[in-house]
Amino acid sequence: MVEPLLAIDGLAKQYGHHRVLEGVSFTLEAGETAALIGENGAGKSTLAKVLAGAVRPDDGKICIDGKEVSFATPREALTHGIAFIPQELVYVPNLSVAENIVLGRWPRRAGMTSPAWALRQAASEARRFGFQLPLDRQMMALSLAQQQMVEILKAVARNSRIIVLDEPTAALNSEDSQQLLDLMSGLATSGVGVIYISHRLDEVFRACRTVHVLRNGRLVHSSAVSDTNPKDIIRHMLGRSIDEVIVPKERFDGSTKVLELEDWERSASPPLRRVSLAVYEGEIVGLYGVRGAGAETIAETLGGLHPDVRGRTTVAGHALHALRHPVASRRAGIAYVPADRKSQGLVLTLSVQQSFSLLVMRALSRFGVIAGRQEGATARRLASEVRLRARGLGQMVGELSGGNQQKVLVGSRLASTPNVLVLQEPTRGVDVGARLEIHRLLRQLAKDGTGALLVTSDIEEATILSDRLLILRDGAIVHEIHQPTLSSQAEALHAAGGLD
Amino acid sequence: MNESTLRALLLTGFLVLIIIYFTTRDSAFLSRENGLNILVNASVIGIVSLGQVLTIISGGFDLSVSGTVPLGSVVFAILVNRGWGILPAVGGVLAVGAVCGLVNGLLVAKVNINPLIATLGTLSVTGGIALTIADGLQIPFSDPNAGVLAEQSLFGVNNHVWILIALSIAIFLVLRYTVFGRYLYAVGGNREAARLGGIRVSAVTTGVYVSSAMLASLAGAVLASQLLTGSGTVGTGSALLSIAAVILGGASLAGGVGGVPGTLIGVLILGTLANGMAIISVPAFYQTIATGLVLLLAVGVSQARRLRLGI
Repeated sequence: MVEPLLAIDGLAKQYGHHRVLEGVSFTLEAGETAALIGENGAGKSTLAKVLAGAVRPDDGKICIDGKEVSFATPREALTHGIAFIPQELVYVPNLSVAENIVLGRWPRRAGMTSPAWALRQAASEARRFGFQLPLDRQMMALSLAQQQMVEILKAVARNSRIIVLDEPTAALNSEDSQQLLDLMSGLATSGVGVIYISHRLDEVFRACRTVHVLRNGRLVHSSAVSDTNPKDIIRHMLGRSIDEVIVPKERFDGSTKVLELEDWERSASPPLRRVSLAVYEGEIVGLYGVRGAGAETIAETLGGLHPDVRGRTTVAGHALHALRHPVASRRAGIAYVPADRKSQGLVLTLSVQQSFSLLVMRALSRFGVIAGRQEGATARRLASEVRLRARGLGQMVGELSGGNQQKVLVGSRLASTPNVLVLQEPTRGVDVGARLEIHRLLRQLAKDGTGALLVTSDIEEATILSDRLLILRDGAIVHEIHQPTLSSQAEALHAAGGLD
Repeated sequence: MNESTLRALLLTGFLVLIIIYFTTRDSAFLSRENGLNILVNASVIGIVSLGQVLTIISGGFDLSVSGTVPLGSVVFAILVNRGWGILPAVGGVLAVGAVCGLVNGLLVAKVNINPLIATLGTLSVTGGIALTIADGLQIPFSDPNAGVLAEQSLFGVNNHVWILIALSIAIFLVLRYTVFGRYLYAVGGNREAARLGGIRVSAVTTGVYVSSAMLASLAGAVLASQLLTGSGTVGTGSALLSIAAVILGGASLAGGVGGVPGTLIGVLILGTLANGMAIISVPAFYQTIATGLVLLLAVGVSQARRLRLGI
């Protein structure tokens, strides 16, 4: 019997007390396209990184062609024939396409190389594998879809026999996605084993032969795609709920709109197509969609990050001229909580008190001098409102746990008593206890009358928190669920994944 | 005990060690007169460093001070020679500094040029203007009484030192108690977070470069009144010295960290070293080597600590 191309047995990985992967085993044949599906945090990325040699597993075996292998570095994984193409592409933007393709494989001849050699080498490889690419252009001038092609060519040119793709179509439109899927089938036909990590069930059912479902670090389902159906897959993905108290929703019956978007359009990628929605006072509206579907784009635009978006915006009855800049957004009464608290939301070197007051300095100062007592009082009020756990208001934010940092971030946005709160990933990387407290906080805010627009990639959170859940796909709102419950998750995933 | 207090203590200890060393080599080192001497000489770089620490806290730095200081000295000399009173002359000097700072601010904040390149460019321009105005020569004060600030003293301490002390207190208060100061730490600590929070990062950046250039220009005027001459060739080492003092004092080149007390100790350490070496007759070029080594040692130790603590 022929040994499988790749066999994983009992792979496990733990970070502190958190078991990210446990007992994961599956096989991959040459020429097989296997989909790897799972919710955020299920362990997909970690598994991919283990295969890529970027992360060492704590336990388990990896066998290629029946022989056990282990990788200390990504380079070793590459030598063994495994290529990993991450979601955030890694390339050298200022070098040419050809140079990127031959990166790391320059000839060892007196340490000299030449652009002409790179061009020739890349051209011959592109011809051999049937890729059409502008080899002499700078990498950064290419579209995202083309850049991905380059990455894939890079992988095949190294004679990689296993290619792992992490959400490659997340930011692509349907045309480019189809092109990518066709490329993938082409690879499979030539004997390469492809592992396709994705949220997009429609693509999985169209282009993959096998499907593996990860949930909470365990492989809960492996089968041929033809032996299963989307409903079953979703059920495996979600499984039994985490036993967590669900914060009850109040029946809201507000009639004042705090936020209204009318006919928002964006041509740049990711696009928006005639998006219109309203948020009422006291309501939490959830936006859910795969990455690139437009949910996070809407939130970012409300934060002032995409001045190229066209359309009408009204906040608390005032029509906005334009949302060109975060300053304009703040002035309009929009409080924006960005997705990444460490890089976008918090200044980690400031203290808790300083962070709470940062966005409302004008109100807490006279003639440019900070009113210390007022600042302290504001900070104390916000700290208790978000139930912050810190050694004191003077503690540096960078020292707090993820959950408490997130509380500081949200609290800092509440300081200005905004008209509407726009939140992205409010509980990303936050422990269960803090997550619950943040959910409680948001519902309390809703009860007190603040409207909120919530963008999250956590479908469970979306159904727990939203009074109305809007599903986006390819830049447009395709579905709306009123008063969603936990069991609405399947419906939401369906709509987001493009299955009818 | 937190990190910055520990650092301040270590630096002061280091300063004490230097003082002890030089005193053992030449007892004339440890005298009130020499001490005041050190302070007076340090006041010029001290003033420049106060501006530099502002820019470094905000995440940038200002190399152009090496051109603004001589420019300030030349402008001061010219204005004083034209009969302007001290105060109006200082006003003129500050105005010139403000213009230089505005250019820096616009280049960095609006045109988005890296501070290294932007201030390197303005350095050449301001330095060049200083030399041009002075025709490459010195501009001696026609009336030695114009250097009156340098001669006068209050309670036996030279006026220039009082200027440094007053400015230090002012900058300290700005950093700790004003909105502008808070914004400096925010922009330096995480520019993107500051921007997304609705802070006008361009305005803050421009303000910081204007402040730095005004202080550098003022330092030039102080230097001119010490030398009784304005010249395009003095103060050209201000950038490296002030950056060294600020980093020695605990600021981080990445931004978001730093303060006045540390900067002043850094200035004192460098000033004491220079003075001590002169007293024991170390040739001038050894002094430059020693200054560089001290900076590398201090920063190295500090970085090693940071790495170990995982900061």
